[in-house]
Amino acid sequence: MSPAAAPLVVNRPEQNEAIAPDTPWIVLVWNDPINLMSYVTFVFQKLFGYSLEKATILMMDVHEKGRAVVSNGTREKAELDVFRLHEHGLWATMQRDDA
Amino acid sequence: MLGRPPKPAVQRTRRGFRINLDIEERDLINRLLDELRSLLTAPAGDDRLRRLFPSAYHQPQDREFDEEFRRLMHEDLVASRIAGLDVIADSLRPTDTGHPELTEAQMLAFLQALNGVRLVLGTILDVSEDHDMDEIGDDHPMVGEYHLYDFLSWVLDSSVRALQS
Repeated sequence: MSPAAAPLVVNRPEQNEAIAPDTPWIVLVWNDPINLMSYVTFVFQKLFGYSLEKATILMMDVHEKGRAVVSNGTREKAELDVFRLHEHGLWATMQRDDA
Repeated sequence: MLGRPPKPAVQRTRRGFRINLDIEERDLINRLLDELRSLLTAPAGDDRLRRLFPSAYHQPQDREFDEEFRRLMHEDLVASRIAGLDVIADSLRPTDTGHPELTEAQMLAFLQALNGVRLVLGTILDVSEDHDMDEIGDDHPMVGEYHLYDFLSWVLDSSVRALQS
């Protein structure tokens, strides 16, 4: 499924995502003229458990810079996040993290 | 109708969330939610729904992934929105006890559904970010829809504030 190459070290123990996240994909939310700023902030809080402060900063990033990275992870996780953002009407897409 | 009462449209109470809208306004919202339900079950490709079902992958090299995502997830996305509409079904209907009270789960579904209606209406009106009612004259052919859009924005914003309070 994942386009990543097979690991060379096959015996490597499962990595703890919290410590060494496998982050080849990022999820972006794009600015759009319809969604309310208060609503976008609330969705970030609800879906990602972000504080009001962090959610507001992300929302302002979307608003002022046109887009913001709201989450990252494996392709499967990014797809799930994109799906949940679409459920809430946000304009979200994903791409490989080339940075 | 569509006036702005001094109270917020939605208020948190000890038991849940009170909807401070009169019967005409609730009827109007119910009709819009019914319309959203029929739009969602209409054949795919309706341009009015494009904001409800955006692409997941925006880079050209991921087009196959995007097609796969759409094939696998589109029905789930429709089902999720219909399930949300089911959660709030009847909760806004007129009762003899006065203003309806919603549970938190109903409130979250209400929020999502209202936003869905706004996305469709905003797409039809092709609104701009700094859209200003003062620039829409009373003789504008879509003036009613613009008022509706602003009304929904007010209810949605009030709903968010109630949930955050």
